Amino acid sequence: MFANRGAAIILACLLLGACGAPQLFPKSVTDGVDANFNFIAWRNTPNAKVDRKVQIGGKVLEAGSQGNETIIIAIQLPIVEHPAYGPKDTGKRTGEFAIVFAGTLPPHALASGHRIIAVGTTQKAKVITVEDSKRTLPTMQAHCVHIWKTGGRDIADFSSVGAGYETLEEDTYCAPGY
Amino acid sequence: MRRIRIVLAAGVLTGAVLFGAGENMILAGELPAEQASSHRSTLQVAQASSESQKPPSNKSGTSIGGESLEDILLNKGTITMDEWIKIKAEEEYRGAGRDFRLDSIENFKTNVESLPILTDKVNFGLNALQWLYTHQDAHVPEGKSQDNISIRRSEFLFWGKINDTIPRWHALYEFQSINFGNSTPATAGATGTPVSATFFRESYIDFRPVQAWAPNLNYIRLGIFRMPFGIFTETSGGLRDVISSPYLTSVGSGLGNRTGTAGTIDFIQERDFFLDARGKIANRLEYAIGIMNNNNFHANATGSNQPKAFYSRARLFGTDVSFVSFTTILGESNNAGTNINGRGKGAFDRWAIDARYTSKLIPGLMIQGEWWQGHDGANQTTVGQGANGACQITAICGGSGAPGVQRRTWYVLGKYLINDGLFQNWEPTVMYEQFDPSTGTSNDLYTRTILGLTYYFENFPPKVQSKIQFNYEFRHHQGNGPGVAYDSTFDAFAQNAFLVQFQIRFM
Repeated sequence: MFANRGAAIILACLLLGACGAPQLFPKSVTDGVDANFNFIAWRNTPNAKVDRKVQIGGKVLEAGSQGNETIIIAIQLPIVEHPAYGPKDTGKRTGEFAIVFAGTLPPHALASGHRIIAVGTTQKAKVITVEDSKRTLPTMQAHCVHIWKTGGRDIADFSSVGAGYETLEEDTYCAPGY
Repeated sequence: MRRIRIVLAAGVLTGAVLFGAGENMILAGELPAEQASSHRSTLQVAQASSESQKPPSNKSGTSIGGESLEDILLNKGTITMDEWIKIKAEEEYRGAGRDFRLDSIENFKTNVESLPILTDKVNFGLNALQWLYTHQDAHVPEGKSQDNISIRRSEFLFWGKINDTIPRWHALYEFQSINFGNSTPATAGATGTPVSATFFRESYIDFRPVQAWAPNLNYIRLGIFRMPFGIFTETSGGLRDVISSPYLTSVGSGLGNRTGTAGTIDFIQERDFFLDARGKIANRLEYAIGIMNNNNFHANATGSNQPKAFYSRARLFGTDVSFVSFTTILGESNNAGTNINGRGKGAFDRWAIDARYTSKLIPGLMIQGEWWQGHDGANQTTVGQGANGACQITAICGGSGAPGVQRRTWYVLGKYLINDGLFQNWEPTVMYEQFDPSTGTSNDLYTRTILGLTYYFENFPPKVQSKIQFNYEFRHHQGNGPGVAYDSTFDAFAQNAFLVQFQIRFM
């Protein structure tokens, strides 16, 4: 009797959870995120929209540490719910941006091609050297980032990489205070 | 006469320039203001030149101080206007040829960019190229050696993504294993003949019926591939942590006997022909449910030898990389026409629980294990040896003559990848496993302890993993059941072994 009830509760929880996007970040972090944020407009005039709380998805291009900060250069990708929740490469390039994270992240989490969602506030554009050339990139100060270690594949395609089955590592990292 | 020629030529040039200007003016409307004005100014310069009867400068030709060589020659009267026009015409012809070549290159670039290999429609990889050295303590027949060098796997992989509805096609060819498998005739005492090569190892298509249903119903997979049975079976040979396959895949050698404990037993086949549905619910519960031929990868040639078998696996994730899962396989099995060792006639089932813990607290530590139990029908046979039916009279029904048996196996594997220091990229591994061919029979247990050490040259699973592995296996086999004479001298499952394997993998 108890086992049946337990199974029913677990099933109900799973089915309820199945319909929504997974909660990657603490609610306090995502509260106040601008749902109508236009990345292209921000990229074109990065200094016009400072201190707005945003959530941006992308693909890691390059990353490095500067003092106690980690700077991630990413290509923006749309965040989709299907076929799997997360940033999805649709083949259209909308532009690159920089994520500044207060703290260090493990090197294996920053490999090129990993998918990332960052929540934070927009800042003034920074001049950043990407592949030996200086670029002025729209910049956000990340409160939290969630990284899928896909190594270049889309999230939905990952389990079929290679000739077998592999679990997809993903982790959320938050800056101190968040 | 000369003046008339010059005026005539200037008139022709002016007409040509004005005609060109018309085109330029149309273009100018489409260009940004800056570019459009530059076109206009070029046009103006050209007009001014023709009015003063000076030939227009041509920067593409041989020029000295902005004037082309033919202009200077014309001005000095060395060449006539006819000759000048001829030279200009040739230059224009060459210019047109240059434009044509540039257009061709542009077309070629466009075609190249749409090639399937650059659009993810076709990819190529080396799933595993493995060189293996084995030393086994077990004695071997005359003409064989206890030390063996071989290519364990030479697997080339092709795959692609057509679109989100067909997110993957996949084909794997095992170039190492092109030997023929035997058929299992339905006649007692008969021996099977070679039927098919295993060169064709994996091929499948993923079909995602409705995007909005994914990932809850992520895709339907059709084809032949590693089956979703536990952990090891579904792990690619290029990503396995120990060199030998676990006993749950295959154990034992020789022919079966009346106890049901002897001979080769393929408890779980790695591959089969199937149709299944897979998905993930709430990012926590992953499932696979389907039907299969239940006759291994040779079945493409030999066909199914029984009604289809049903299988399912539910995997519950505690974290992104730690889980516990439950597998069932249910159906009937035949001993005639089988391509799987140890299968009898009658009810067939497998039940399993597996778990993996990948530590986030101690990065590099991973522990996994599987526990399997299942029933094989009576009169199990060895592939290639005639069998037909469940009767236990070998003269009539062939096979082993054994009753139905319940088999059980389990293993635990732990490894730790050293992430820094002197021993960075080294990974010690330990595995212990047991296989009980018949839970109702004594004196038949297989046990093995594997001590392993792996060094990774590159370790970015699942796509890249180049490594060298050293394994020492402590093997023990009790025997083939009570009262059955048994000599372990030649039994490879009863004698220790040392293995070294060098692998390259990329995709």
